[in-house]
Amino acid sequence: MLQHFDPNKDYGTPASLSEKMVTLEIDGVEITVPEGTSVMRAAALHDINIPKLCASDNLEAFGSCRICAVQIEGRRGTPASCTTPVDAGMKVTTQNDKLAKLRRNIMELYISDHPLDCLTCPANGDCELQDMAGAVGLREVRYGFDGNNHLDAPKDQSNPYFTFDASKCIVCSRCVRACEEVQGTFALTIDGRGFDSKVAAGQDEDFLDSECVSCGACVQACPTATLMENSVIDMGTPEHSVTTTCAYCGVGCSFKAEMKGDQLVRMVPAKEGDANHGHSCVKGRFAFGYATHKDRIKAPMIRDSIDQPWKEVSWEEAIGFAAKRLKEIQAQYGRESIGGITSSRCTNEETYLVQKLIRAAFGNNNTDTCARVCHSPTGYGLKQTLGESAGTQTFDSVMFSDCILVIGANPTDAHPVFGSLMRRRLREGASLIVADPREIDLLSTPHLGNSTHLPLRPGTNVAMVNALAHVVVTEGYEDKDFIASRCEGDAYAKWREFIIEERHAPENVEEITGVKAEKVREAARKFATAKNASIYYGLGVTEHSQGSTTVMGIANLALATGNMGREGVGVNPLRGQNNVQGSCDMGSFPHELPGYQHVSDAVARARFEKVWGVQLDDEPGLRIPNMFDAALSGEFRAMYVQGEDIAQSDPNTQHVEAALSALDCLIVQDIFLNETAKFAHVLLPGSTFLEKNGTFTNAERRINRVRKVMPPVAGKEDWEVTVELSNALGYPMNYAHPSEIMDEIAQLTPSFANVSYDMLEKHGSLQWPCNDEFPMGSPIMHTESFPIGDEGKALFAVTEFVPTTERANGRFPLLLTTGRILSQYNVGAQTRRTDNQAWHDEDILDIHPHDAEERGIKTGDWLGITSRAGQTVLRARVAERMQPGVVYTTFHHPGSGANVITTNNSDWATNCPEYKVTAVQVEKVSQPSEWQKNFQDNHERQNEFLRGAASSADAVK
Amino acid sequence: MFHTEEESIVTMINHIAQNNVSAGSESEVADIVENHITKFWSRRMKKILAAQLASGTAEFEPAAKLAAEQLSAKVNVSA
Repeated sequence: MLQHFDPNKDYGTPASLSEKMVTLEIDGVEITVPEGTSVMRAAALHDINIPKLCASDNLEAFGSCRICAVQIEGRRGTPASCTTPVDAGMKVTTQNDKLAKLRRNIMELYISDHPLDCLTCPANGDCELQDMAGAVGLREVRYGFDGNNHLDAPKDQSNPYFTFDASKCIVCSRCVRACEEVQGTFALTIDGRGFDSKVAAGQDEDFLDSECVSCGACVQACPTATLMENSVIDMGTPEHSVTTTCAYCGVGCSFKAEMKGDQLVRMVPAKEGDANHGHSCVKGRFAFGYATHKDRIKAPMIRDSIDQPWKEVSWEEAIGFAAKRLKEIQAQYGRESIGGITSSRCTNEETYLVQKLIRAAFGNNNTDTCARVCHSPTGYGLKQTLGESAGTQTFDSVMFSDCILVIGANPTDAHPVFGSLMRRRLREGASLIVADPREIDLLSTPHLGNSTHLPLRPGTNVAMVNALAHVVVTEGYEDKDFIASRCEGDAYAKWREFIIEERHAPENVEEITGVKAEKVREAARKFATAKNASIYYGLGVTEHSQGSTTVMGIANLALATGNMGREGVGVNPLRGQNNVQGSCDMGSFPHELPGYQHVSDAVARARFEKVWGVQLDDEPGLRIPNMFDAALSGEFRAMYVQGEDIAQSDPNTQHVEAALSALDCLIVQDIFLNETAKFAHVLLPGSTFLEKNGTFTNAERRINRVRKVMPPVAGKEDWEVTVELSNALGYPMNYAHPSEIMDEIAQLTPSFANVSYDMLEKHGSLQWPCNDEFPMGSPIMHTESFPIGDEGKALFAVTEFVPTTERANGRFPLLLTTGRILSQYNVGAQTRRTDNQAWHDEDILDIHPHDAEERGIKTGDWLGITSRAGQTVLRARVAERMQPGVVYTTFHHPGSGANVITTNNSDWATNCPEYKVTAVQVEKVSQPSEWQKNFQDNHERQNEFLRGAASSADAVK
Repeated sequence: MFHTEEESIVTMINHIAQNNVSAGSESEVADIVENHITKFWSRRMKKILAAQLASGTAEFEPAAKLAAEQLSAKVNVSA
């Protein structure tokens, strides 16, 4: 039976997945529910709402508050309805005088040790304790308030986003259970016994100093004002909410933006969110303050040269200035002398418009996107093997996995909400294999069972994946039926011949990867013999000179073991930014129109030409690194960059800065003066995700609505700016709302054919392909066939391991690999302007104790890090999680210059930079690098130019 | 690391050839390389490649050189 449920209602206990139905009677009403359902939930599903305090439907039943007591015919006492499962023929009474008295007595005890400050309490009107006191008819507290109590218990205000007020705690354990069951961190506990019981973080530390990751699950779970958002304490309770999609990582969590007027009070994870099911991380839940930060660019600005101060101008003047410059440059240097970059942070509709502007108004294919530097190998590798440039599963699919292989990804930091889901499955007993140079936090999952860490050397992924596949084939673990029916025979035969070569045996690969052969064999057997085995990978796979090869090797491994086309299996790229999948889908790459339709495909091109009314170029355009090279040679003169900070995020910073400095016109559309904007001639204010309508597509191909909750600070949503620029260039664009842009996308993109805002409103979200073949979308792909070749059969790819040319030697003996941290996001432009700085206010270099000792390095020392590309200076942290010979840092702070030292080595197929392997030397130093000194000077100068623009505009006013 | 754009173009085509070295004979690898460049490289990159081939000084992998020659021949025919 299909249970219709209201996402805004708490049913007390989780749903049962049983298909067997049970009929019982509650308060004389006959009710049929799945076996295993609690009495509390069964009642709630039929709007019989039993009082509760310690129960919540995202947590397992606990039965501690006893306020949900009921009477059951033929049974003794008053069992808790939350912990009592339904039984066939059961007759339950939820309300009578005895139960009412019992509940009142329980509430009386709670309230006798609770501050009676409801009118001034931040939870006033949003407090379950208050609600339950009303529900049970509590009218007096006979015990008085003079005895021992906790009313003077101190507050913990260490966390920048929420306060723990122990005086209001009823010790219901919901926060502790949320931390365990929902988040999987186990940072909280109930310390002490009886009257002394209290919630404690870590080893009775402050929240900030404990292992707490500030995901907000405890705050969400708290039924009182004990754990409360500081924004609510400061501003009061919100008065309306709008459901939208988070603009941080590729998980794409749904949130209710809870508002007072146009002020955002808090972001509450939406229970009905198909990607997050009511969970969140510290970024999405709390780090939204950047949207109203004083650094926001609030007016358009122009200047003739990057050595001049900015001049604040009207939108009309800025757009006119930009269009005139672009036209002049094209007139002088040719059609291909300009181009642009779309943003993986902007909406699908905005990204679609920017690439359309470039192809139709600029008249060339010089469009690229930040996916170039992260997941372009995914696009290439999965298209070659599986026929579609996307992951194959839903996030929820991991709950059906028996073995989870994680390669080059760190989900608990970079995709935290999915990381929590994965941890839940691991606690349930799935085995884990991690192939990563570092010992990532997933390996420290509390209650983790069978796990294997393959600590391979950076740059050896292909060798490792080949070795795993070699074991699968040579030890007879292939899924022959799957291969015969679902994979193309010739390609398979060729691959098989390649992979059984003895050089791929773990014993022969050991010297390359540094991982013991037996460990690799054990991992391969574990993966191959699991009923359902899944692969999750991230930038630790793609950002290599062989990134595309590893992606294809991963697809080979899944195909060879038949782990494709059903729940619990598949190949799952964990996308970095919120809309990386969408920006790729929308035709941001220079060789592909929206929907991955190649520009040389005359039929596809003709459809676009008809709708767009222009002739399109049939040759691929410039990729981002080609744009830089062409700029330095003088052939590429102007660039339109929307929501992307190439000066910070792209490798070999000096090269990028030189290229940007060489441009005659750089138009940057962003919410802040980012590093790229310091080289710009036109600065157009961007709008945050809170200020616009549109859609994002997450890593599971889920198209989710982004809804405007406040007006754009500079008056325009990003898509409107692109429309105006296009019109000023003489190519008319006429859209009244992003829904019209989506209608055009659906018209031209076969995999989006059935997508519309009406459909999204109706279904909440849709996973592409969503068309006549899959009218409701496609949660799991490739269930019957692959969209490749005439027969729809997957193609095995021969995956030769070609070592990177970036090798350690006597001069550069260590290998640097870069990555992310939980509290910061990408280049940090957003999170650095929030209180997330409390966790990570500088990038640090992690180094193994052995390497540190050899160099006399202690934690906190300043280190000069020198590569073949450049030098920068960071502070050291001696870390056991590193392996000897490998150092690690993040790139969230521009002054760190992490990309000053990364090289211009790149993936052979896509030019995705090799961020993950840079040979370096480190030594103790006492001052910043030359680049850092120059950076600081330029930073101050450019900010002065910005302040000058604002003050001169004020003077005019 | 490479330094000039010309060097990088030659490095890239060699890299494509190396990564497909097990795909078959030199001619089969060259076909893959040619197809890849046709499909993914911009007009400008192809032009630089042609110039490097014509210069006779660039150090190409055998399959990469064959691919570059095939590409140049096609351009000449269509021209």
